[in-house]
Amino acid sequence: MTAAEHAVPPDLRARVLAASRRARAAGEPVPAVPAISPAEAYRRAADALYRALSALDTAAWSRPAIRDLDVQGLVGHLTGVEDDVQRCMASDPAVSQAGHVESTQAAAVRQAGRDPALTLAEWQDAVSRTLTLVAARGQDGLDTGVALHGMQLPLRALLVVRAFELWVHENDIRQAAGLPLAVPDPSVLSLMTALAARLLPGAAVRAGMPGPARLHLVLTGPGGGTWDLEWDPEWDPETASAGRPYPAEASIVADAAGFCRLVADRMTPAELDSYISGDRDHAAGVLTAAATLALD
Amino acid sequence: MGGTDALLAARLAAGDDHALAEVFDRFGAAVYGAAAYVVGTGAGAQDVVQDVFVELWCHPDRYDPDSGSLRGYLMLLARHRAVDAMRSELRRIARQERHYRLSSDERPPSPGEQVLSAHLASEVRAAIQRLPAAQRQVIELAYFEGMTCREVASAVGIPEGTVKSRLRLAHAKLEAVLDRQLLEAP
Repeated sequence: MTAAEHAVPPDLRARVLAASRRARAAGEPVPAVPAISPAEAYRRAADALYRALSALDTAAWSRPAIRDLDVQGLVGHLTGVEDDVQRCMASDPAVSQAGHVESTQAAAVRQAGRDPALTLAEWQDAVSRTLTLVAARGQDGLDTGVALHGMQLPLRALLVVRAFELWVHENDIRQAAGLPLAVPDPSVLSLMTALAARLLPGAAVRAGMPGPARLHLVLTGPGGGTWDLEWDPEWDPETASAGRPYPAEASIVADAAGFCRLVADRMTPAELDSYISGDRDHAAGVLTAAATLALD
Repeated sequence: MGGTDALLAARLAAGDDHALAEVFDRFGAAVYGAAAYVVGTGAGAQDVVQDVFVELWCHPDRYDPDSGSLRGYLMLLARHRAVDAMRSELRRIARQERHYRLSSDERPPSPGEQVLSAHLASEVRAAIQRLPAAQRQVIELAYFEGMTCREVASAVGIPEGTVKSRLRLAHAKLEAVLDRQLLEAP
């Protein structure tokens, strides 16, 4: 303590923290980003990809993008995904357990040798059809459960997953074309980070971290936020035993867009600029599990 | 990630209340010290500390890590808030004084109020009387006559900056008077 410092009255810390939380709830980012609907997030992500594709020269369309696909094949893959989304909205059971890559491979390879303008127009038409179907469902329809490529989730969540995929592939294409990576606008990113945080406990359990566990996740920058995640919430300290260990607890702080790249499996945990406290093994396990959420 | 202060600011903006607790643990004593230096070690200083941290929590974007340290920002905020608190208290006392002077036909204060206000007023008056003449003059003109710094400067014939520095010196000396009892007075 320096000469200018005084002993802080014992209850002042609790009083200050309580008053602060009353003035602004914990977890609430500032400045707040404008809230948008999942359909709007999907539309914005599609618009951003369309703008990127429209700016490509002809040569860029044949550059390798991901897997065995060039840029044109990747756009074909996205057209295939839109077709499957429309089928899942029509409750077609054939797409519920279909593989995300396998089911769309025909649409991808079909692009070889075509005029890129036709590929772009076909994808754009597919996006428009999806948006028309979503609009026809209305607000209440967004809560309807759908099944696609092994996922079962409300339509509103599927639209955020789709926005996520469009952004990730936009950056795959940008990378292939030697362009700088894009960051979604904060309103879109906010829905993406919230979805990723919600899915994280499930990913951790599937990755062999059954819990009980707690994670304080802080995603910084526009579109970020703070989440206190817990899995195996039934765990009771009163009945804890050797077989039911004390919950692993960790805190992870990372940039919101960087974390989404990790979740998209476009970045490794080692590459993510993060600040970890608490149980470091637990945090490392969660970050590894996060990358398994990627669809690709 | 960025430097410690920049990281704390980013965490606060993301709504990380753990970061707020960390900032308090790191700088709470210094902020309390800065507040107590001006308003004394009482409830007033605690109010200032609360104001400073609520301000930081609600508006973390007002702190720019490129412009200086978080500690420096909080200390500056604490000094401003403490001086504001002292000015506000002095104005309140001056208003009360004027009110009792000008409204002798209104309901007389209760015996309790009389005792309390007389006690407060005499405490403040005594403290002001102990100030050097130059400081006492600017305090009386600013708070008891309600003049602005510019008006005081003109009335006394000194630069406005000198008025402000004399007020600051006077505030520092009066802080001993504004103890917990005074600040909590109705």
